[in-house]
Amino acid sequence: MTVGQSVNRKEGRDKVTGAAKYVDDYHFQDIWYGKTVRSTVAHAQITGIEFLAGFDWSTVVLADYRDITSRNIVALIYDDQPLLAESLVRHVYEPILLIAAPTKELAELAAKHVHITYKKLPAVLTIEDSLSAEQKIFGDDNVFKSYTVTRGNVEDAFQSAEVVVEETYHVGHQEQLYIETNGIIATAKSDGTILIQGSMQCPYYVHRAIKELFGLPDEKVVVVQNVTGGGFGGKEEFPSVVAGHAALLAKKCGHPVKIVYERGEDFVASTKRHPAVIRHRTGLTRDGRLIAAEIDLTFDGGAYCTLSPVVLSRGVIHALGPYKCPNIRVTGKVVATNTPPNGAFRGFGVPQACFASEMHMENISRKLDISPVELRRKNMLHQGDYTLTGQQLTYSVGTQQVLDAVLERSDYLARRSHKQPELSNKRYGIGLSFYYHGGGFTGSGEEKIKGQAAVELTAEGTVRILTASTEIGQGTRTIFSQIVAQELGLRPEDVEFEENDTSKVPDSGPTVASRTCMVVGRVVQMAAASLKEEMAKRIASLAQCQASEIQFEGRHLLWQKDGEIISVSFAEAAERCMSRTGFLKTTAQYSSPPGIKWDDVTYSGDAYPVYAYAADVVEVEVDMDTFEVKILKVTTATDVGKAINPTLAEGQIEGGTVQALGYGLFEEVAWKDGKILNNRLTNYIIPTSLDIPDMETVLIENPYPYGPYGAKGIGELPMDGGAPALVAAIADAVGAVVTEIPATPERIMEAMEKLAVEA
Amino acid sequence: MNKFEYVNASSVKSATEQLQSDGSVRIKAGGIDILDELKERTINPKRLVNIKTVGGLKEIKEVKDSLHIGTLVTLSELASNKQVKTLFPALAEAALGAATPQIRNVATIGGNICQRPRCWYYRSEEFSCLKKGGNECHAHLGDNRFHAIFGNDKCAMVHPSATAVALVALQAKLKIEDTKGHRIVEIDNFFVKPEENAKAENILKPTEIITEVILAKPAVGSRNFYIKLKEKQSFDWPMADVAVAMEMAGGVCKAARVVLGAAAPVPWRAVAVEKALVGKKVDASVAEEVSRLAIEGAKPMSHNGYKLKVFETIVARALSVVASGDFSSKEGF
Repeated sequence: MTVGQSVNRKEGRDKVTGAAKYVDDYHFQDIWYGKTVRSTVAHAQITGIEFLAGFDWSTVVLADYRDITSRNIVALIYDDQPLLAESLVRHVYEPILLIAAPTKELAELAAKHVHITYKKLPAVLTIEDSLSAEQKIFGDDNVFKSYTVTRGNVEDAFQSAEVVVEETYHVGHQEQLYIETNGIIATAKSDGTILIQGSMQCPYYVHRAIKELFGLPDEKVVVVQNVTGGGFGGKEEFPSVVAGHAALLAKKCGHPVKIVYERGEDFVASTKRHPAVIRHRTGLTRDGRLIAAEIDLTFDGGAYCTLSPVVLSRGVIHALGPYKCPNIRVTGKVVATNTPPNGAFRGFGVPQACFASEMHMENISRKLDISPVELRRKNMLHQGDYTLTGQQLTYSVGTQQVLDAVLERSDYLARRSHKQPELSNKRYGIGLSFYYHGGGFTGSGEEKIKGQAAVELTAEGTVRILTASTEIGQGTRTIFSQIVAQELGLRPEDVEFEENDTSKVPDSGPTVASRTCMVVGRVVQMAAASLKEEMAKRIASLAQCQASEIQFEGRHLLWQKDGEIISVSFAEAAERCMSRTGFLKTTAQYSSPPGIKWDDVTYSGDAYPVYAYAADVVEVEVDMDTFEVKILKVTTATDVGKAINPTLAEGQIEGGTVQALGYGLFEEVAWKDGKILNNRLTNYIIPTSLDIPDMETVLIENPYPYGPYGAKGIGELPMDGGAPALVAAIADAVGAVVTEIPATPERIMEAMEKLAVEA
Repeated sequence: MNKFEYVNASSVKSATEQLQSDGSVRIKAGGIDILDELKERTINPKRLVNIKTVGGLKEIKEVKDSLHIGTLVTLSELASNKQVKTLFPALAEAALGAATPQIRNVATIGGNICQRPRCWYYRSEEFSCLKKGGNECHAHLGDNRFHAIFGNDKCAMVHPSATAVALVALQAKLKIEDTKGHRIVEIDNFFVKPEENAKAENILKPTEIITEVILAKPAVGSRNFYIKLKEKQSFDWPMADVAVAMEMAGGVCKAARVVLGAAAPVPWRAVAVEKALVGKKVDASVAEEVSRLAIEGAKPMSHNGYKLKVFETIVARALSVVASGDFSSKEGF
């Protein structure tokens, strides 16, 4: 049994010994370096580009939008974002001009000699300004996309509510901060093929973007993922921009072109988590039962649409949290501003929605004087219940298990009645959050993608997996090799991987949406099962036995003949299977579990095949003079379906929780005139190891019948609940609820002052 | 960053001989701040002179009644040196609280004192400010949550060095050398306000090197201590910090130095607190009472009013610790 074991990370040795080759480790003799000249203003007409004297312009190659042979777009959803600005710039840092030079220094020097003049236009920099639509920057109302989801009769239900609780919550930007910054090398071959290699999550996104840019057929664009130092969603759609720039320069200068961003550039140029304003109005019975809810979410999309409609959609669907409410209306919109486009980031709209909904539960619990635990127990979803899109939950609903487990493991009830030390200026607080996250693409997404993966026998008699799912540090290769090894009676080390190259591997769909294990892992499992079946069939015909009699165990194929056990090694069996054809490869494709229905128009039905559930308990100590918060302990319980590799699953949960605690306590992008002030790790504050306490991570396995061995997607889930549990703990300590994160000392002080005024 | 020459100096003399008055040649000791500056393109030197190869600058020596700390002594060495810890806990604590273990192992005391501001307008290529020859301080109309509450009329940066705060409290002297010889400067006369020179934080000329920090051993009955508040618990500059040095006799304060960091463009002496302490038997309630004077004359900006409360609090805490002499209790706060 290898599934369920914490086998070593497949690529771990290479990474810790430095053998792993990241894009910046590739050096070609004739390589040139690309530099991007960006807008310095938020909204303006470009009136002129001047190439100053004092620089020898014959030593570099320049490219602008006129060099794009097909469509000047970063192909994604609306295709509204130009790869390079033409006459208008819509945000600071928007790319305008590209420079390629034989050295980085020369490219930089050239960039210093470019002078761009602008005619400034009024800039829309906040959600409020965008909503007022005084300055129109997208359509008539600055709205990229809106949704309304309705269930029951909301107006009537509010009439009968005994208590109504209303509050507005604010969350800001968050930067993904993968360790390796964005980087691409592009090569334009003499036959017209464009070769892209670099750091990315989704090779096929880049593939499509480059095809659109130059009007090329599939086979003329080859995209290869190099070892990638983290993504967190930040390398979902953004690498298409870097790849487009590098490809344009490579075509023009005739050299391979490398663009690797420095941290400061990566920070300002790449996408971030959407800021949001979320209003909750909730009608309840006196004893705390939800009977009516109105939730309105407004997300700041930035200057271009990117993935905003899908991010918002997930936020809307998760807006209530894992609770029942028969009468509900959720409205959501994502608006345009003259700030850098926001995009994918682990959680994808849910961390914003979950902060608001869980803090609202905290507020309701205070207003009704019902304990946070009782309020959750009264309203939580159970098997058989319906979500706000009308989805009936028929399997793998771990709500009660995660709540029970986290309360027990953290000793929540006893610790909540913890007496405050009387002579100290420190206050202890404990907070709870309870949440869920849909695995895989929303609605009909997976049906549209129909992700594929393949498995083949190698000449050495082992097995190779072919998938476009990328290893970005989360353990794709390890768990896939465990799944295949399990199916074929092999060891994970007997399983290798085809290079993640669009000319070699099928499109498994992007490495996003907590879908790699649950969706693609299942497809990989199916492909391995087909391979097993085909091998059994071929061996059976040679051995003159029934295929169904052949067992795959301990790196051998076994069957009985005349009461005797016959065994042949897997490698030998593989060789025999390939003796005639020379290869054996099986491909599988995703299909939705039976009975899944989704309506894209009414936004109703089965939004996700399954949800993963979790509950967090965070304990803090707050300094009542300075309002500094020290996190004492974090306990989480997560219904993962099945942990293919428990250590990796715990790693996902712990890492996601740390990111969530950073979101709740520290991380804030500071702005002036549309420019980012803190684009470096010295002043964009993220938790260090000294800021994070020990964590207790409880895994609960409530199998999902259509996942590999029961596994559900958990990549994003742990990003959702940390911030509200933390802020609830602060509220428990100081008595006031902070409604905007990060919960800085100033905000805690303001919340306490506000509470004092109200009292 | 730009291309530059890199040379190893064999002596202070060979290092200073290479320095130019136009600042085009820079000294590199631990290389921490200079590397940041190169990468942020705030400087474009022709040459870096590495002084880590110079002998004799790495020692902590006892000379009569003083401790002479070589400019290349690292923050780690300062934080773990027995004499420093015993005689000057404020300095040991300030060194220990800086950066990360890896950085403390290479960052030097000389470099720490001379580091440039962390002001995000100064550090960003996007903004041309007074320090870089521009004509405005962007903090006045922009986000200034980490900026100065004292002396902020012209440039509102705060001095970034934690050890400098301790050294001002401890009345250190600096040995500064150039090709002509050396001079000894009282640390009170080392840092300069933006009104005197907006482009620099101290009087050091581009042709000079600090070679030693000299600390007179404290008088009997003296105690000193340092407290730093930061946003994250590692790798962070002070949001607010304070160093206190007090000379006491029979529990009564004879003289005191109270220095605020991250409060002003220079380490800022809270003179009103210092005066109020003299002649008082300092206990927790006196500490709290006089701590209110720490913010006398402060001019908070639009986003940093919180610093008033924070400075009152840490001054009171530091004074209480110094008065009680119980340095171990700081965790109790």
